[in-house]
Amino acid sequence: MSQKFEEKPGEGTVKLRVRRGVGSDPATDRFDEFVVPMEKGMVVLNAIHYIQAHLDPSLSARWNCKAGRCGSCSAEINGRPRLMCKTPVESIEGDVVVEPMKAFPRLKDIVTDVDANWKVAAMIPPFTPKPGAGEIFRFYQQDVDRSREFRRCIECFLCQDVCHVVREHEADYVGPRWVVKAASLDMHPMDGLNRSKFMKDKGGLGYCNITKCCQEICPEHIVITDDAIIPEKERVVDREYDPLVWVYRHLRGSKEAEAQSFRATGGAP
Amino acid sequence: MGLRSDWKYLLPYELLEPNWRLWSFVAVLAVGFWAVVAFPVAQFAGYIDPFYSPTVLIVPLPGVFRLTCYAYRKDYHRHLFKHPQGCSNADRGEAAGRKYTGERNAVFQLENFHRYFLYAGIAILPFFYYDFGYSLVYSGQFVLRLGSLVLLANALMLTGWTLSCHAFRHLVGGNIDCYSCVAAGNARKGIYDKQSWLNSHHEALAWISLLTIVFVDLYLRGLAAGLPIDVTFLRF
Ligand code: SF4
Ligand code: SF4
Ligand code: FES
Repeated sequence: MSQKFEEKPGEGTVKLRVRRGVGSDPATDRFDEFVVPMEKGMVVLNAIHYIQAHLDPSLSARWNCKAGRCGSCSAEINGRPRLMCKTPVESIEGDVVVEPMKAFPRLKDIVTDVDANWKVAAMIPPFTPKPGAGEIFRFYQQDVDRSREFRRCIECFLCQDVCHVVREHEADYVGPRWVVKAASLDMHPMDGLNRSKFMKDKGGLGYCNITKCCQEICPEHIVITDDAIIPEKERVVDREYDPLVWVYRHLRGSKEAEAQSFRATGGAP
Repeated sequence: MGLRSDWKYLLPYELLEPNWRLWSFVAVLAVGFWAVVAFPVAQFAGYIDPFYSPTVLIVPLPGVFRLTCYAYRKDYHRHLFKHPQGCSNADRGEAAGRKYTGERNAVFQLENFHRYFLYAGIAILPFFYYDFGYSLVYSGQFVLRLGSLVLLANALMLTGWTLSCHAFRHLVGGNIDCYSCVAAGNARKGIYDKQSWLNSHHEALAWISLLTIVFVDLYLRGLAAGLPIDVTFLRF
């Protein structure tokens, strides 16, 4: 925290080091330095806008709402995936280093192409009303408490970026955002599908080693690992590993539909 | 940055890092094994050392319960296998070139049986309370001593850790999608919510309960060595 800034608003400057380049061309990959005047309450996105307006209009950055709602301005700030519009410059000690998300192909400067996510989204077996759900769904608050948490997701894909499986390995893992999505459907009181077999075989849930980086950085404070991933893993255990549950299910005759087929339009990124 | 609440800055950063949990677990296993074999102090003046509490010795299940615990899994994947070591670029360590199968290979798929070790963990909990009770009445009189409170604290922490388990969370209500559709749904949601609160402290309880076991062991060894560290509060 730079106290001097709080005491003298409008005074002082901050140095930004912004990683730039076009596509994956290594010849264009570089860090550019900019010195930007400090303003009270300024966030990293303000500094980027200042650069575009006064220092270098060719700097590309994606943003939309400036309020942490749209999930467009994701970047790696001083080595940590964060929203540029929610990161106060004051909270950073020393120079501000802004880089594009490493897990996705770069388009230009700090703008990345997150399209691979929509392919994964299309793989997740969609909401399927359970038999007898009727035309109008009636359920109680307590039934949707859990899946509501997941609806806070703004699809910033910072969790996908920080997840070492998505980032560092060519694994068929859908990634934390999409486990959150599957969990929000699985835990919905009116959904009739069981996505466990899908999550194990096609979703690659076993690749997650619950190291919780996604949970640490989610700007919406969704408790990704504890509330979505581990419960999904426990459901996979029910379905695929636990002999007692298996016996119980067969004696009782489970009526639950299983998501075997899905709209496959591509693999995980 | 902004992720830790302010009071936590007062503590050394390392103390809050989960690698402490991992390395203290390894150290406790090693030192504990050595001490249990080389210098047995199974019981002293009615206090039963948790390392020798019968089931703990007979069954290595508590160790496996810890090994497959989601908190410890996080620890060793981060700090032993370094997949990844940390979340920020500065300390994550590049793993791109190293083979990674996560929890999918033959060995790590065994993590999926964690719930069975939980059942074993719950089954042995009463023994720790038995040890507490025994320390009160072992002499034929009722005595309340500091050591008994230490045993009780250990039993409570072990209970907290065991009952805050993620597999237990699934069992007590996490497996229900529609609470208003099942019998006693409100009650089950209530239990689930309370357990969820406990579960959010699971990592801390995992570590504290490990330390309390060691503390009880050291306390008993101290008594056996003749240190004047026991206090009697009540006797009748
Ligand atoms: S779960 Fe959190 S980090 Fe992941 S995309 Fe949604 S809001 Fe972003
Ligand atoms: S907890 Fe799982 S999904 Fe989240 S970052 Fe770690 S490996 Fe990826
Ligand atoms: S600009 Fe919308 S989340 Fe940052």
